[in-house]
Amino acid sequence: MSKKRLILALTIIFSIAGSVLAAPAGTVKIGLSAPITGNLAEYGENFKYSVLMAADKINANGGIRGRKLVVDIQDSKGDPKEAALIAQKFVQDQEILATIGEFSSTSSLAAAPIYERYGLVQLSPTASHPDFAKAGQYMFGIIGTQDAEGPFNAKYIAKKYLKLKSVAAIYVNNDWGLVTKDRFIEAARGEGIKVTSQQPFFETEKDFNAVLTKIRATNPEGIFIAAMYNEAALICRQIKKLGWNVKLMAPSSVFSEKLLEIGGEAVEGLATNTFFALTDPDPKVQVYINEFRKRAGRNPNLHAASAYDSALLLAEAIRKAGFNRKAIRDQLAQTKNFPGITGKITFTPVGDVVRKYKILVVENGQWVVKKDYTQ
Amino acid sequence: MFWLQQIFNGITQGSIYALMAIGYSIILGIIGLVTFVHGEVIMIGAFAGFFMVTFLKANFFLAVLAGFAASWLLGIIIERVCYRPFRSGPREIALIATIGLSILLRSLSQVTFGTEQKLMPDLLNSHFIPLGQIRITNIQLLIIFTVFILALLLHQFFYKTKTGIALRAVSMNKQAAALLGVHVNRTILLGNALGCALGGVSGVLLGIYYNSVHPVMGASVAMKAFTATVFGGIGSIPGAALGGILLGIFENLGVAIFSSGYRDIISFSILILILLIRPQGILGRKELER
Repeated sequence: MSKKRLILALTIIFSIAGSVLAAPAGTVKIGLSAPITGNLAEYGENFKYSVLMAADKINANGGIRGRKLVVDIQDSKGDPKEAALIAQKFVQDQEILATIGEFSSTSSLAAAPIYERYGLVQLSPTASHPDFAKAGQYMFGIIGTQDAEGPFNAKYIAKKYLKLKSVAAIYVNNDWGLVTKDRFIEAARGEGIKVTSQQPFFETEKDFNAVLTKIRATNPEGIFIAAMYNEAALICRQIKKLGWNVKLMAPSSVFSEKLLEIGGEAVEGLATNTFFALTDPDPKVQVYINEFRKRAGRNPNLHAASAYDSALLLAEAIRKAGFNRKAIRDQLAQTKNFPGITGKITFTPVGDVVRKYKILVVENGQWVVKKDYTQ
Repeated sequence: MFWLQQIFNGITQGSIYALMAIGYSIILGIIGLVTFVHGEVIMIGAFAGFFMVTFLKANFFLAVLAGFAASWLLGIIIERVCYRPFRSGPREIALIATIGLSILLRSLSQVTFGTEQKLMPDLLNSHFIPLGQIRITNIQLLIIFTVFILALLLHQFFYKTKTGIALRAVSMNKQAAALLGVHVNRTILLGNALGCALGGVSGVLLGIYYNSVHPVMGASVAMKAFTATVFGGIGSIPGAALGGILLGIFENLGVAIFSSGYRDIISFSILILILLIRPQGILGRKELER
């Protein structure tokens, strides 16, 4: 009997000691939910490099209120179900004060109700679905939404820059692809551009010959490719192999070195937009680019830069608000003109950012800024 | 012109499916079990070809050979790890072992090769061969030609050589084959290695056709290989080839008639229909349930 009691007492002592030990007073913890493995692994890797870089930078400057910033990285494998499970885990871990994630709009939306219910910030560096930030008080997106990007692409790229009279769209069949295509098509119609065809494809698709042949039969002057850079590069290559001379344009998701590498000559002339450019003369941007190159062995892209800004933004909010989830959310919502490497960040009342864009075009195998509307 | 172009694209894609399906069919026949690791076999083959081309500046023939060899080796490993230890046990164990190995291989290659999609350089200066109104690239022709030659060689192998006949005998009945003096263990090893090697070649062809290789490229194509195998008739090699090519054509026509969003719906509807109407496939023979 007494032995049992002793064990019970010891268990209680150890569990209390354990929980105290697990939370050394000198740290502050944020969560990162990203597709570290799986089909979207390379995007998750960009997040990981950037967020850890930001954490190291903050810690080198004395941390947040004297505490060391620690990042708890969880792998969602690009699966919305996993993202929701990670959300459960994060909200229950009281040490976690705020989170960065998810990569895709689909996963971010899937996790949103959980973060909202338990009051933990989910700041997505890349989710551009207009419904994401609206999904709750605790949801923030900094990439800008398709509500702004679609009209920009239609008015400034399709109409003014490429001078298209007709356009077709090929889009990836997920939340993001659908809304990106819809917002662009609506705006293009509004600009008086004729829409000849709209065709979806699935995420793992490699063969676009059939769908491109079909779109080609409708004879558009330009094609809008709503896809990530990997698929977009393949689509451009297959357009070239079809011997089809059509003007290429795409949303900001294609801005990456990888597009140039995989696309080669086929992506020549492709027009897109961005608010982050490798040629940006700003010294803090160049410091970031060099450091990223050193760690990852490649150039950063918009997603990576946006993840870096997300981490700095959260750190700043925690520094001002203290170690309380609700206070951090309120502080974050008040963000005004935060000087990120992707430009100034100011949240709208629903929690997303209105971005201003530059037109970016592939010329001689390089990304070249053609027109800058960010000023 | 539109339809001819779509059909021709379908034939190219279908011939790659056909090669995968032939390999799949050989494995299915010799092991008697569905394999879940075939997608990763295809991927490893593609990467072998990719490394040959990128680092050794190899030509088309050597790249295909590298894919063949790498997947052959992998086939031997798969047989030793997933099938041989469990041959006398319940069949589910081997099945689950292939699922496990597939996850292991996929994650391992993400760790070693990196998670990014890799560019497979253009091996031949790709250009068009105008054929009336349709455009055919030399790469498309080369792929179809390669698959055709391989299929012919395989046919000779299975019907004219002793080893080939032994392979067919083991597929039909392991015990009877053993009684007649066929070395069953060695034949199973060979059959699995051969099936995998064909998968490897199709991986290299996929890489060349689409100019890209990716550690996660296997999963979706393996499903197509399975569909083509069932479509053509399980255990029938000409059936698998026919199934692959028809699947390619149907997919492309499906996109042309309906929408590209329906591509997979079409291929899997075909799978279900075939299973309902003609479970033995187009060229399959009716067999008693084992």
